[in-house]
Amino acid sequence: MDLTPNDEQIAFQTATADWCRDNMALEGARARPDGLWAELEAMGWMALTAPGMDLDHATEALVFAELGRFLAPIGLLSTAVANRWFPHVAEGKVALALTAREPEPLRVLDPAGSGAVLMGEPGGLRLFDLPDAFTDQRGALHKTPHTPTIDLSTLQSRHEWTSSLWTEDDPAPPLHLQLLSAAYAVGCADASRDMAADYAKLREQFDRPIGWFQALKHICSDMAVRAAAARSQLYYAACALGENAADAAFHVAAAKRLADQAALDNGRANIQVHGGIGMTDEAAAHLPLKRAHLLQFIAPAARETLLA
Amino acid sequence: MDIGFSPEETRFREECRDWLHASVPTEKRPLDAADAIGFDKAWQRRLFDAGWAGINWPSKYGGRGLSIVQQVIWLEEYAAAHAPWIGANFVGINHGGPTLILNASEEQKAYHLPRILKGEAIWCQGFSEPGAGSDLAGIKTRGRIEGEELVINGSKIWTSFAHVADWQELVLRTEEGSLRHKGLSWVICDMHAPGITVRPIRKMSGQTEFAEVFYDDVRIPLAKVVGGLGNGWKVAMSTLSFERGTGFIADQVKQSQEIEELIAAARANGMIKDDRIADSLAQLRAEVAAVRAMTYRNISEVLRTDQPGPEASVIRLFTSELGQRLERIAVLLMGEAIIDFAYGDDNPVGDYLRGFAATIAGGTAQIQRDIIGERLLGLPKSR
Ligand SMILES: Cc1cc2nc3c(=O)[nH]c(=O)nc-3n(C[C@H](O)[C@H](O)[C@H](O)COP(=O)(O)OP(=O)(O)OC[C@H]3O[C@@H](n4cnc5c(N)ncnc54)[C@H](O)[C@@H]3O)c2cc1C
Repeated sequence: MDLTPNDEQIAFQTATADWCRDNMALEGARARPDGLWAELEAMGWMALTAPGMDLDHATEALVFAELGRFLAPIGLLSTAVANRWFPHVAEGKVALALTAREPEPLRVLDPAGSGAVLMGEPGGLRLFDLPDAFTDQRGALHKTPHTPTIDLSTLQSRHEWTSSLWTEDDPAPPLHLQLLSAAYAVGCADASRDMAADYAKLREQFDRPIGWFQALKHICSDMAVRAAAARSQLYYAACALGENAADAAFHVAAAKRLADQAALDNGRANIQVHGGIGMTDEAAAHLPLKRAHLLQFIAPAARETLLA
Repeated sequence: MDIGFSPEETRFREECRDWLHASVPTEKRPLDAADAIGFDKAWQRRLFDAGWAGINWPSKYGGRGLSIVQQVIWLEEYAAAHAPWIGANFVGINHGGPTLILNASEEQKAYHLPRILKGEAIWCQGFSEPGAGSDLAGIKTRGRIEGEELVINGSKIWTSFAHVADWQELVLRTEEGSLRHKGLSWVICDMHAPGITVRPIRKMSGQTEFAEVFYDDVRIPLAKVVGGLGNGWKVAMSTLSFERGTGFIADQVKQSQEIEELIAAARANGMIKDDRIADSLAQLRAEVAAVRAMTYRNISEVLRTDQPGPEASVIRLFTSELGQRLERIAVLLMGEAIIDFAYGDDNPVGDYLRGFAATIAGGTAQIQRDIIGERLLGLPKSR
């Protein structure tokens, strides 16, 4: 038993964090450059557990927590999962659909440039075709406009059901999607915590940094506790999934639940720590909060799984 | 990263399970410290005789010299077998002994450690005073040096098991006129020495488990100072790190049973159909899982770096508040039966009332938050 990252895992984690800091600042999340996807692809993060690469879920979860900290595109989640479970079909970017029931149209997140859409359901994953016309965001042909979600870095559109492939009767594929989205949420909770702590050291009132005051210090400490609990459970869940443990579904669901909650609660707390500036559009405090609201709809933890 | 255990560890787990299955006492541990003392000592002796005391203590002092992972396995199986709380042995086993292992002289270790492990010597912790609780550096109890002895005057309060203890980890001011963290010493105080008066205090749960202790010209040999005269603060901090860290693994493991019992109870009485209750239970079950993950992560970190670090405060704060949430929902699930609570009964109300200690004893939740903010997040010190 060892729940700390090994040297190789730390190297992956650090490299991801460094790259994100230089190329994908959180503050820039509302307007990411056009070429970003190609750069992300070049970094290889969307194929860590694909056949051939064969890294473990723990390493992947560590990397995705770092990506999540910088509010990386939602399409990374679905593409990484598609590359693992549909290795010979999925090519290039794969968008993510929130779970829907026919005839309700699919709500597709991060569709720009995608050739396919992935949707997770309790019994497996589905991979849908996206007609070409749909893929070109600026082209005249696309049928549905891409509209913003509450998360300023993520667009969505509606899409009719098309033929799909299905990973049947295998519990692991949807758990993989849930694990990676939990990792994103852990990163998001971390981002809010760090933003709050940094600001509390910098901002002065009553001739002192506001972090000196316990009323503020304790808000920050609670953010640290929530993030620590969610991160520990993420590590455990990643190992449980990697080892095909009998209770993997519970542990992944628990990780998602705690991570979503930490992301939301820390997102709110961060705005309070920032005072007036925290509510403004120009500041960044609202970005992880809005991302947290989006993430809670991606592979949410079912109460039945937690109580099973 | 992995959550698996080696074949050796798995074999060890099976041994623990088998022995506990055959040996856990069928009678309940009495709730009151004075009534429980015989029980606690006898149980500790059985543990020692069968080789289950001090799993990761050095073998030369009666321990098993095994790894901290094996210690955790033992505690997991211990809780799973519903083995009794170690009660009066808590201080000696969980922080007195470990503090001695780290700071004491060879002679002090050789004398005290085996006695703690055998349940022959009960220890208590004399840190808090009426005016020095959260502000531990405000200690006023003093020890004047006279020849080869300390002459002690003052008082301590909230001393768990003081009225049944043989020895005390006593922190006092040994340097006349010294201030705050300076001039303190950590001393092994003989609780049977002349001049000590113990006044038991009753808790709101009805138990008498802690006490006030008065020192009136109590004479203790200088040879009983641990870690050197004037180094008391440093030694006390190591005691607290054990108290806040590994000392609580057993509690953390117990929570995983409590949540299963609560879910079963809510199913049995139908309250699980209430969405809010079902949701709270689902949430608590996830949080209990996270406690194990945090503990495993912390232990792996200690094994890797040899440093417990401020994460111990994170776990302590999270578990103590989680424990209280569990106790609160247990009482909620009782419905009107809560009214029937009578002093001395062992039921969820007792746990609920005793549970208020979790965010007070060993450093309050507020003090833990200060530590997390300052040492983990680097915020400016407010004290
Ligand atoms: C069941 C139980 C068993 C105990 N056993 C022992 C024992 O065996 N040995 C021993 O030495 N002690 C023991 N204690 C004492 C325990 O360590 C103290 O109660 C604790 O440290 C708090 O001190 P206090 O009671 O003086 O409260 P106070 O320090 O007076 O605190 C009162 C309130 O003020 C808050 N507060 C105080 N200072 C600050 C600050 N700087 N910032 C923010 N908030 C603050 C506290 O959080 C608390 O909410 C025990 C306590 C309990 C409840």
